[in-house]
Amino acid sequence: MTLRLIAFSLVLTVAGAASGKDKEPIRIGWLSSLTGPQSTSAIAENKGVEFAVEEINKAGGINGRPLQLVTRDTVSDPKTAVNFAKQLIFEEKVALIIGPVNSGESLATIPVVAKEGVPNIIIGTVDELVDADKYPRAFRPINTNRQWIEAANEYALKVLKRKKIAVLGDTTGYGTSTAKAATAALEKEGIKPVYTALIDQNKTDLTDELKKAKDAGADVVMPWSGNTGFMARVVNARGDMGWNVPIVGHPTVMAAPLRKLVNKPAYLDNIFAAGYSSMTYDDKGHLPKATKELQEKIRPKLGGGEIDYSFWWVALGYDTVKLAEHAIRAAGGTDPAALQKALENTKNFAGVYATYAYGPKERNGFPDKNIVINQANSFKDGVYRAAPR
Amino acid sequence: MLTVLISGLASGALFAAAALVYNVMFSTSKVLGVQTGQTAMLGGVFGAWFIRTFHFPIPLALLGSIFVGGVFGFLTDLIAVRRVLNRSDEHLWLLSTLAFATITQQVVALLWGTEPLPFPRVVPQDFSAGLLDQKYWLPILTALALAAGIELFYRRTLYGKLFLAMSEDPFAARARGVPTDRIRALSYVISGAMGGLAGFMAGQLTFAYFAVGITLSLNGFIALAVGGLGSNTGALVGGAALGILSAGASYFIGGEYQNTVSVGLLMVVLLLKPAGLFGAQVARPV
Repeated sequence: MTLRLIAFSLVLTVAGAASGKDKEPIRIGWLSSLTGPQSTSAIAENKGVEFAVEEINKAGGINGRPLQLVTRDTVSDPKTAVNFAKQLIFEEKVALIIGPVNSGESLATIPVVAKEGVPNIIIGTVDELVDADKYPRAFRPINTNRQWIEAANEYALKVLKRKKIAVLGDTTGYGTSTAKAATAALEKEGIKPVYTALIDQNKTDLTDELKKAKDAGADVVMPWSGNTGFMARVVNARGDMGWNVPIVGHPTVMAAPLRKLVNKPAYLDNIFAAGYSSMTYDDKGHLPKATKELQEKIRPKLGGGEIDYSFWWVALGYDTVKLAEHAIRAAGGTDPAALQKALENTKNFAGVYATYAYGPKERNGFPDKNIVINQANSFKDGVYRAAPR
Repeated sequence: MLTVLISGLASGALFAAAALVYNVMFSTSKVLGVQTGQTAMLGGVFGAWFIRTFHFPIPLALLGSIFVGGVFGFLTDLIAVRRVLNRSDEHLWLLSTLAFATITQQVVALLWGTEPLPFPRVVPQDFSAGLLDQKYWLPILTALALAAGIELFYRRTLYGKLFLAMSEDPFAARARGVPTDRIRALSYVISGAMGGLAGFMAGQLTFAYFAVGITLSLNGFIALAVGGLGSNTGALVGGAALGILSAGASYFIGGEYQNTVSVGLLMVVLLLKPAGLFGAQVARPV
């Protein structure tokens, strides 16, 4: 009798433990530069990430398990990002890490996270960040620099039919590598830029550089930089010179913070930048259904009024968590190998920012067809109109 | 070419203003505080805030920026300099002023964000003025006015003479009854106010941006070392030379060489003339 009682208690205990584990929160690490020089996009992405977690938990979590977001502010510093990545893995025991949110930090953390075999959803656009062989569990939902560059080059060469191109980049690692990649892509198309310059991003006046580009005969200026101040100085120098040359380039040239820095609103005319079909009004002024729905759902969290920053950051943050949810559901848990398999098998996963697809050797989930060119002067409620074609 | 010259002169004027701020602090304390650039940063950020948020008229906003700079200077002395100087002869002020500068920058980033914010026009003028645009001439005129003002202050006022006395020999000055702590505090207030003024006047070049201080601290120091520590003429010449050379290097060689040229200039001058172009090596009888 006693033995039966003990056995019964043991069964109850084990069952209890098992059911307790079944209800344990799934811990998701979130490495984000919430402060520091690259915080603007991260703060917006964080809104999307937090909202998605809240939404999933309100709907009962994933198979009954709530998501627990473990956020670490990397202060835009790669060393801090590495330290926090280790902390998330070894101390917080997270099942998956989202972030870091820029290429500089990602370059430093990806090898560290990959070494421990933790699945990683990264938000950095430098092409070299992902590698299915070296970092098999690092998946990228954001587009790559190549996709931005190819779209901008196609617009400048084939739509605007310009051939005399001035390529400008800043002297940061990101600015330099992107400007060089843009130049190489143009040369592949048989176009040698008439003017190429790498400029210190803190240079307070770019009139001389724009004048040099003009003197070189440039009929389109293509700036590649993620620095708002630098881009604003390009736009202001062009406007102050009264030079109505088209500018086609990096999305920062139409980002919401830049609009406040231009000397006159008209300076935003004739500026086009790489954007997203999901964040673009159609001919009738309508947005894709998923984008509109997310805008309305999250609007109260963004202040309630018109959205005053690039909404794609919010949508991207939202999608990273939704992608993680999809992988955990498909894997039936948080086993790292199963999560990798689930993400590799992901085809046509419809997010708000894009529809994603990965493969056994494919770690870039963002499809080329989701890239469009937008008009900088058409910003409204966080999104843009398509550039004329 | 003229564009490079004027544009270089304008940014050089800002470096010269930072060098003048260093000079005033150095005269009474022999400290080259790393927070120098932050005083100008605060002038720009607060100036833009006063105008855009509170709709202050420009002169009032300018006075506000000068006041904020002065308070920041006073706090620098109080928190990062006075106690360090009293307790140690070592150059620990380098760390304390660096810490103070970093804290200030972080606080500004947290309160105003990390994106640059627009700085309004100081005098009514269209944007099509080319090289006559105020964004070039305001920093240049400000640097000249600051240098002239500080020279007049040294030569024509009692307090100015006390600054010079402390600069010559702080121990002798104290022995003769000069309240050295108060004079040093006053020098920090004045230097802070100068930085606030310069930051306001250069706001259209730099935007109201939390991270501009580090660049100004570094380039202001280079301008000072090239021109000669303690010389206001040297600060102006050093700043102008640095600004024009940097702009020229960026234009003719490429932006990636801009910093190499500015630091190279410093090394060349220090090798050929260690006291700087206008600095005097003081021989002290012992």
